[in-house]
Amino acid sequence: MLPSVSVTKSVETLERRIVALRAAVREAVLAGDRERASTLRRDLRAAERAWDDALAAAEAKAAAEAGAAAEAGAGAEAGAGAGHADAAADADAVHAAATAAAPAPQAAARGRGSLLPLREQVHEALSLLTVPAAPRLIATVHEAFFGGAFPSARLTSLKRDEERSFRAAPLARPYYICAALTADLLAPARGLLAISTWPMERRVIGSLSPRVDFLTAAIRVAEAVERLPAPVPAARRLLWRFAASIPGAADGAASMQPHEITEAALAELAVHQAADRAARQAAARRAREQLGDAEQLFGTRIGLAAGHRAGARRPAPRRRGR
Amino acid sequence: MNGTEARLARIRGRALAKTHNARTIAALASNPGCARRAVMDAAGVDKPRIAAYAGFPAPFGQSRFALARGNAFEAQVKANGAAELLTLLREHLGLPIPQAHYDDLGEVGGNPSLDLRHARTKALLARAAASRGDAGTMFDHPLLRLQVGGRYAFLEPDLIAFQLHGRFHVVEIKSFAVIDGQADGDKVAAAAIQSAVYVLALRDALAEQHIPAEAVSHETILVCPKDFSSRPAAAAIDVRKQLTVLRRQLSRIARIDDLLDLLPAGLTFDLDPDGEGVPRRSPADLAAAIRQVDAAYVPECLSTCEMCYFCREEARGCTAALGRAAREELGGVEHVATVLRLAGAAGTPGAPGGTVASGTAGTPDAPDLAEAAELLRRAARLRAEALHTDAPRAGTPGREAG
Repeated sequence: MLPSVSVTKSVETLERRIVALRAAVREAVLAGDRERASTLRRDLRAAERAWDDALAAAEAKAAAEAGAAAEAGAGAEAGAGAGHADAAADADAVHAAATAAAPAPQAAARGRGSLLPLREQVHEALSLLTVPAAPRLIATVHEAFFGGAFPSARLTSLKRDEERSFRAAPLARPYYICAALTADLLAPARGLLAISTWPMERRVIGSLSPRVDFLTAAIRVAEAVERLPAPVPAARRLLWRFAASIPGAADGAASMQPHEITEAALAELAVHQAADRAARQAAARRAREQLGDAEQLFGTRIGLAAGHRAGARRPAPRRRGR
Repeated sequence: MNGTEARLARIRGRALAKTHNARTIAALASNPGCARRAVMDAAGVDKPRIAAYAGFPAPFGQSRFALARGNAFEAQVKANGAAELLTLLREHLGLPIPQAHYDDLGEVGGNPSLDLRHARTKALLARAAASRGDAGTMFDHPLLRLQVGGRYAFLEPDLIAFQLHGRFHVVEIKSFAVIDGQADGDKVAAAAIQSAVYVLALRDALAEQHIPAEAVSHETILVCPKDFSSRPAAAAIDVRKQLTVLRRQLSRIARIDDLLDLLPAGLTFDLDPDGEGVPRRSPADLAAAIRQVDAAYVPECLSTCEMCYFCREEARGCTAALGRAAREELGGVEHVATVLRLAGAAGTPGAPGGTVASGTAGTPDAPDLAEAAELLRRAARLRAEALHTDAPRAGTPGREAG
């Protein structure tokens, strides 16, 4: 058998398998069988990874005909073994968690896109910013400091998926990508994502909070830029966008200094912080008293809450993770 | 339903009523003399559909690309608690540093219902006005409403900023570029009148809470991309003149009865749809119905009104179709044919002339045209001298007629 035939064949086998798995996942979800759906999803991910590998192998073939045969074999093997790849997937998850816990800039991954699931990439970026942020900012931060680019449009469905997952099995995951809540109505703030392990005070948004969070994020980004071993253009561009909107932070993109930006941001932060903290603490207290677990993470909606209330009454939240 | 409402419903026919928005209200003010537009808008007629069915579809509405660019620029300026905008406002309004509040009124408690948003907008604005600055600075996506022709139209300004000394400023974000301090005059004018609509609506909303009109500044802030970059720049625009025009125009819509009295009782723009919504009325019949309402076509209509091609076709041969400036240059005479005849008539204004093509304009015999005729003759003489030809003959369209 010629190597090229084997590569094409394994890719095709995998494609068929991916299609079949997608259909199976859909059926399981529609049938409400969560466990089966998550197992199938894991299989699907494994198959997709194997497909990527097989394609990479096909590409390598052009360079070395002989070497390609072995790689193609490996690809096909991975495809065949995808159904029993649970152990491998678990190992991946452990690795992913370890990477997420240390959000250090990964020069190696830059430009190739991250291998982590989307929610972990979002977690990385939010952990760097330490404040609720909009999808676009999250995507820009991730691209600048973690190398992986993802379209911010993909984040719109993420929060919904996380909420569905939480309502199906509350607190089953170490963290959830959740909503920031508006301080007045404790409703999900439009277009902001947060992490469930953050204290409530950080996740409620009063009228001064967008500015306070902006300044805080500027400080975090400035610190991260200072930590970079070599200048990264994308990171400096991001920092300049912050600096341009902070009075006295910098005169120009070329001459800006991260520590000056931090100082300017701290100076303005000092003006707003007391008022903002008071508003946030009051709102957070209210949220903890009035809302169930799911509402604390994903907010209440006026006129839409009735359908969701059923899942709201659960024991008091236990903070997990950090 | 009172008599006027019934009359308007009849004119609209079985189609659903279209509600006004800032763009249509602004367009209304840009051509105050047009009865056709006034009646159609008051009745909530679906103008694009009517125009298309009568044989003059207007390639109207914003391009998808322009919309996408506009939205992207607005999103950029408002990103992260309107950080870029705040910097501009600090420079232009002298907003003090502590005033950095940002309230998103795009939805209320996850519910985008218009009434809820309107109520909340009013409540927050009133609170800001009462607290003099420490309860709100920027209000994103506020929802206001304005009574137009007896109905409320919901309006959504880009942003309302509140300044320390108790004044609200309407902020309008547009994506046309300001290059070297210069922007397209027509676009700025359109933005100014749109802002004026918002100022009026904001004053209305505050008046309900007994807050004086002076609380809303007549100076609005226009934010546009600077030069060829996407960095925003801001400029203040005084909209006092636009406010006067708008007020007059809105009171005129309120007196739509006077206009309706001039129209035949059976007038309707109904397309006579069958069970599946396919129109059965003949286009010629519909066009005849449209012609029963007087229009005042000017070239500016091409950028604001869906009926523009229909009216332009109808206005062929009128001096107004050449633009306001040309019309005034031609002595305010209504028809191009009359102008040419006046210019060509060799004798005194009293000299007998041929019949005027349209039959509706004045004749050269009319004493009120004597002055215009004299001016036009002089112009014709000058032209003839310059070109070394004879003066244009009566009834022959010259090159000016276009």
